[in-house]
Amino acid sequence: MRKFRVGWMMLLGLLLSLALAGCSSEDSSNNESGSGDEKVKLTFWGDWTGDGEDQFNHMVDKFNESQDRIEVEYVIQEDLITKFMTGITSGQVPDVLLWDRWRTSLYAPKGVLHPINEYMEADGISEGDFYEEALKELSYDDNLYGLPLTVDTRALFYNKDHFEEAGLEPPTTWEELREAAKKLTIKNGNDFERVGFSLNDLGLFNMWLQQAGGQMLTDDLSSTAYNSEAGLEVLEYWNQLLFEDQVYKTGFDKGLEGAQHPFVTGKSSMHFTGPWDLRTYEQYSDQLNYGVVPPPAGPNGDKGAVMGGFGLAVPEASEKKEAAWEFIKWWLAEPENALEWGKTSLNIPGNKVALEDPFFQDDPFWKPFIDSLEFAKIRPVHPGYSVAEVDALIPNLEKFVLQEQSAEETLEKAQKEGDRMLKENEVK
Amino acid sequence: MKLNKINSAHESSLSLGTVPKKSSFNRYQSRAAYFLIAPTLILFVVFMVIPIGMAIFLSFTNYDIISSMEFVGLDNFKRLIDDAILWQTFRNVGVLTLFFVPLMIIISLLLAVLVTQPFRGVTLFRLAFYIPTVTSAVAASIVWLWMLNSEYGLINQMLSYVGIAGPAWLSESGPAMASVIAVTLWLGVGGNMIIYMAGIKGIPTQLYEAARIDGASSFKQLIYITFPMLRPTTLLVSTMTIIGALQIFDQAYVLTQGGPANSTKTIVYHIYTTGFEQLQMGYASAQALVLTITILIFTAINFKINHSKDQ
Repeated sequence: MRKFRVGWMMLLGLLLSLALAGCSSEDSSNNESGSGDEKVKLTFWGDWTGDGEDQFNHMVDKFNESQDRIEVEYVIQEDLITKFMTGITSGQVPDVLLWDRWRTSLYAPKGVLHPINEYMEADGISEGDFYEEALKELSYDDNLYGLPLTVDTRALFYNKDHFEEAGLEPPTTWEELREAAKKLTIKNGNDFERVGFSLNDLGLFNMWLQQAGGQMLTDDLSSTAYNSEAGLEVLEYWNQLLFEDQVYKTGFDKGLEGAQHPFVTGKSSMHFTGPWDLRTYEQYSDQLNYGVVPPPAGPNGDKGAVMGGFGLAVPEASEKKEAAWEFIKWWLAEPENALEWGKTSLNIPGNKVALEDPFFQDDPFWKPFIDSLEFAKIRPVHPGYSVAEVDALIPNLEKFVLQEQSAEETLEKAQKEGDRMLKENEVK
Repeated sequence: MKLNKINSAHESSLSLGTVPKKSSFNRYQSRAAYFLIAPTLILFVVFMVIPIGMAIFLSFTNYDIISSMEFVGLDNFKRLIDDAILWQTFRNVGVLTLFFVPLMIIISLLLAVLVTQPFRGVTLFRLAFYIPTVTSAVAASIVWLWMLNSEYGLINQMLSYVGIAGPAWLSESGPAMASVIAVTLWLGVGGNMIIYMAGIKGIPTQLYEAARIDGASSFKQLIYITFPMLRPTTLLVSTMTIIGALQIFDQAYVLTQGGPANSTKTIVYHIYTTGFEQLQMGYASAQALVLTITILIFTAINFKINHSKDQ
């Protein structure tokens, strides 16, 4: 009998020590923030690794050297948003958070981010220094929840050699794009030797729709608006490219990355992509001679581009919000630091003052992006928007390009399903 | 069979039910047993039983991780009815399971029979068949992604030599599903082959000797000795494969991102996005509950089929 008591006691002891270990780790983290005259230590969470990690650490180190009150540490969290969520429930959150801006409309209403309006006012930071659209994406109910770290959009990449051979100028309208794509396509029977224009990303429908003069959601964000004349016009245009002129075949570039990508190997003359590919293509500059132009305008001269990018935000549960704001302000609101960030990371910073630098303005690769950002619009600020786009619209577009359903049916179904998803994801 | 009965009779005399009361030795033993399994049991309760219970509870709430939750009754389950995408993922996974499970059993069994033959260099084949299993599913899928490209992929290049124009494997609905099934099979047969190999090693050789004396061909030996003797192994493999198939996620995601037109989207991926992307944990729990019940039903059917053959 006695042996059992000992056994149970040991077990209890084990459990107790486990529980204590769990508590003690929290204690120690609290102590760090409490100590008075030492430096304030900030944790900065993000999910950028590799080059991205080095770029973040470069800015973090510069900030740590620039003053002696605050010390920031960058911590990589793969699966960032899940970690942040579980962190909130257990009280372990970072002080600064890399924030995928489009998530704001879903998370801000739940009060997990801290509004920075007061800090902006107190420090006299002008909202006009930043891209208005990017700030809009970081806002909810007149509150601003962070500053833009990067802004991006898609532009048209074209192969200069192909254009020269064919005696073409880079397209500025849909009409010119279609003509160029037709001329540049080389077919051998049913096989493509070269596609004139890669229509590989149906997720860019939003951009095409703007160029046709349409919009994704109604102005009051209550329902989808893509089942419209403009929507049909986009699909009609795609139909011309894919099936009348046959300038591209769905699946042509699937699975081909890096050195094998058709644009690098010269098997594709044009495609839409973002500034991140400037770095990729630089590695192949010996075989690839390319240029970039803003997305062509639609039939009525409407320009369209979609702005995306990251921001930095302060979690509501952080106990060192003021120090966190100091860091964000230093990095993003001071033009010279924002510029340094842009130059070292090869990202377009969200600070427009920094962008006036010749590094961006006089560069033939950056300039088209900066120009496109002038008219680029963010995705609609509705928590159900991304769901409606990914689960209702794109699958139907995929059926359309496989010729499994007509344009009218595509948009009708996408509208019906999309409207339901918007409703299900509304903020209550 | 007889042996089994003797065994079970033997076991039951040791089991708790028939222990004479107040035998301190037996009580000591049973307590010691509980003590020894306690660590595992506690972990099991904390990380399996409680979360499953929580998920069932959460499926009746509108829990979003952050805000306080409200009890919403059967709302989540009502919403399931109209969730076209959820049912499509069930259809997708149903089709996948229908092809995947029988193929998996047949291929891994045949491979196991082959690599247990005393050929020279057979170890090399064992190794070769097993390697995909230890490869990361994501890394392997990325290689397959390239091999399955419509224009430059290895598969279509090879097909073109024999005059067949292969499809855009990953961009058309039917071929996309076939690709996901093939890649998943390729990844999984090695592991099941090992299980079958262990089973084959356990078959008494005198059965084959007797069969040979009676003049049974090797095909008949396979059908009448190997396969029946491996029934418990098949039950294990088929159960694991069914559960695995219903929970397929990563290779399908890397290969097709659920496309084209959601034709390869899987249940688990849909549940994940509902829970973690849309922050609707309550609704995601309801979806997960439906998946759990489906798995239970399929497993029960599988047990039934394999059991009835036993009698």
